[in-house]
Amino acid sequence: MPPTIKFNLANDEVEDQICDQLTSRFQLRKNTPVTRRLRFYDTFDWRLFNRSHLLYSLDHIMNLRNMGEELILYHLSCKQPPQFIWDFPESALEQHLKPIIKMRRLIKLVDLTSHTVPYRVLNADEKTVVWLSFETVRSRGPKNGFTIGTQIWIRPVKGYDKHAARMKKQIQRLGFMPSNHEDVYFQALYEAGHDPGGYSAKLNLNLKPQMRADEASRSIFRFLLKVIKTNEPQIKHDIDTEVLHDYRVAIRRTRSALVWDKKIFNRNLIARFQKDLAFVGKLSNELRDLDVYLLNQDKYKDMLAPVLREDLNPLFDYLTKQRAAAFRKVVSSIQSVKYKNIMQSWEEFLTQTQPEESQGPAASYPVLQLASKRITKQYRDIVKSGRRILEDSEDEKLHKLRIKCKKLRYLIQFFANLYPQEKINTLVKQLKKLQDMLGNFNDLCVQVDYLLDVSKKMPRNRSQSNRSLVAMGSLIGKLETERQLTKDSFAVTFAGFAALPNQMLFQDLFVHYPKKVTS
Amino acid sequence: MKTIAVYSNKGGVGKTATAVNLSYLSSLTGAQTLICDLDPQSSATFYFRVKPKLKSSSKGFLKGGQKVHKSIKGTDYENLDLLPADFSHRRLDIEFNRLNPADNRLAIFLNSFRDEYDVLFLDCPASISSLAENVLRTADLTLIPLIPTTLSLRTYLQLMTFCKKKHISRNRIYTFFSMVDRRKKLHNTLMSHVSSKISGVLNCDIPYLSLIEQMGLYREPVAAYAPGSVASKAYQRLWQQLLKKI
Repeated sequence: MPPTIKFNLANDEVEDQICDQLTSRFQLRKNTPVTRRLRFYDTFDWRLFNRSHLLYSLDHIMNLRNMGEELILYHLSCKQPPQFIWDFPESALEQHLKPIIKMRRLIKLVDLTSHTVPYRVLNADEKTVVWLSFETVRSRGPKNGFTIGTQIWIRPVKGYDKHAARMKKQIQRLGFMPSNHEDVYFQALYEAGHDPGGYSAKLNLNLKPQMRADEASRSIFRFLLKVIKTNEPQIKHDIDTEVLHDYRVAIRRTRSALVWDKKIFNRNLIARFQKDLAFVGKLSNELRDLDVYLLNQDKYKDMLAPVLREDLNPLFDYLTKQRAAAFRKVVSSIQSVKYKNIMQSWEEFLTQTQPEESQGPAASYPVLQLASKRITKQYRDIVKSGRRILEDSEDEKLHKLRIKCKKLRYLIQFFANLYPQEKINTLVKQLKKLQDMLGNFNDLCVQVDYLLDVSKKMPRNRSQSNRSLVAMGSLIGKLETERQLTKDSFAVTFAGFAALPNQMLFQDLFVHYPKKVTS
Repeated sequence: MKTIAVYSNKGGVGKTATAVNLSYLSSLTGAQTLICDLDPQSSATFYFRVKPKLKSSSKGFLKGGQKVHKSIKGTDYENLDLLPADFSHRRLDIEFNRLNPADNRLAIFLNSFRDEYDVLFLDCPASISSLAENVLRTADLTLIPLIPTTLSLRTYLQLMTFCKKKHISRNRIYTFFSMVDRRKKLHNTLMSHVSSKISGVLNCDIPYLSLIEQMGLYREPVAAYAPGSVASKAYQRLWQQLLKKI
């Protein structure tokens, strides 16, 4: 069946004129007008838009379709629009959205009213052969009543395509041109001040191999500052856990890059920023830890025997209260004078040009050379340290190796676009395997210690508390077993990372490739 | 896709009215619904104001394919399409007789609609024939309207004997009372007798109402032109019962 054809109108007052002109050729019958509430949703980082998905609700029906297509992939009837994936009832829509939005909240982007006046175009048997609708979309809320768009829709009826084609021709003769499919969506977002796809925490830098190192570093820092500044004002709204996460990752990446930039910028200045940003990073450590525990609720419960699962609820109730307190602390700390001063001076440093004599000795080096040196050095350090770790080595050594791997990962991400993409992806894949293992191990160590600590602090005034302690004890036992198993798997995982083909790939990318480019 | 056949070996029992109204109610749930009018009298096609004409012959019809799909017409209702009848459907039985029963041609034909539709209704002609046999074997559920009269009951029992002889499972066959006049003693007596003796009788009957007969004038499902009427509510109850079965 041919798709629906739309025409944009200047205003909704031309409906009668158009109908008058059409009645000489078509038999039109007006149906009851319909007014519906239309709302569009997406996550803070535009996960649906980036997949060309449109999630919208028409009254109580949530619909998902691809942009530019009419076919509704999934729909769901719900009185209250779900905000998180765990608010959705079990459904095909939930299954589809789960891997896309993960733990992100669905934010209502715009709230609109769609008023449609449908007309049936009839044949001699009074059978509907085309649907003709006049739709006016207006905004609700702050700009209540503001007209977003007025359109005519020609919706063909299956088996009566020719009638729709005739109608299209007739409307074109009246001087209207078919419009683009998602005009209303984009116009409504524009009016509401949204920039679709405008935010992503993923590093997307366009560095050139011959760029000066200080220039490249500044553009990395500027990108990270943009991520910090986008998320920072949203923290107090507590949209979802990922706002704080993206904000923290951007700070961590900045700190990690600063370590390497001592030779590029003024050494003393960098040392000061390192200290300042370490302070900023620490402000939200507790809140992030609590977020992770609460996000893992179901996972922890599943680790226990069914009979004990509900006995973990007092633990999560306690953690929820702790989180509320930690959240208040973070909100007030990012509004503090000290915090604001740190961020202001950091921003000033990035916007002001520094005199050449105050720069470090490597400021004018080509970025490709410097990045390759740093990555090679970090990789060799990891291989050397990893080889020294034995089965009975202290946990601390694995922890240090995890930090080194994280730094290497950040370095590769900063400079990825300077190297052949395919080879970089292979390397990142191998590194990620090792990082996942080390990250899991670290999480398990921290979790065991934290739970032991919490078990002492939790209030014990109910008969439930004994069962709750048993459940926590059982959980600690399970986590401890998993911790040991993860530690045992280190040798195999590390061997994969430090294997000869991988080493050769590193050599090829970060030693031979820069020489080839510069020659 | 669920296939629901509305069938009876007796004419004038309300098969088409049932198929038209139930398919309309199915479409209201948001399910993509197709009603196939297999009756050469093309009454369902008439009710939806569509011309009874296919782009294929009866032989081509059974092969399915592009021509059949191109013959599908959208009705005046969202989510509801119609595969119109054609006068050539009078030859459908002959075509089925020609085919090897093991081929299960009707199942293959219906399968071609699986991707596009959630629910498919078959409005069948009144006869005990190869077509009927294929329908009874293939449909997920066969619904038989039964007027509570002696002759109607007799034809129903004939059909059950036929199914037994042909080893057709009766577990997927359901019946309901149609054109019921509660003022008639015979209707009441027969209904209670049949309900107690025969299994698969749905606890829901369609009354004999002029509003249902007026479907021919309105050329719409009764649930569309008189949604709050007794007739419409009776079909809604029947649809609710069917939903539990499918």
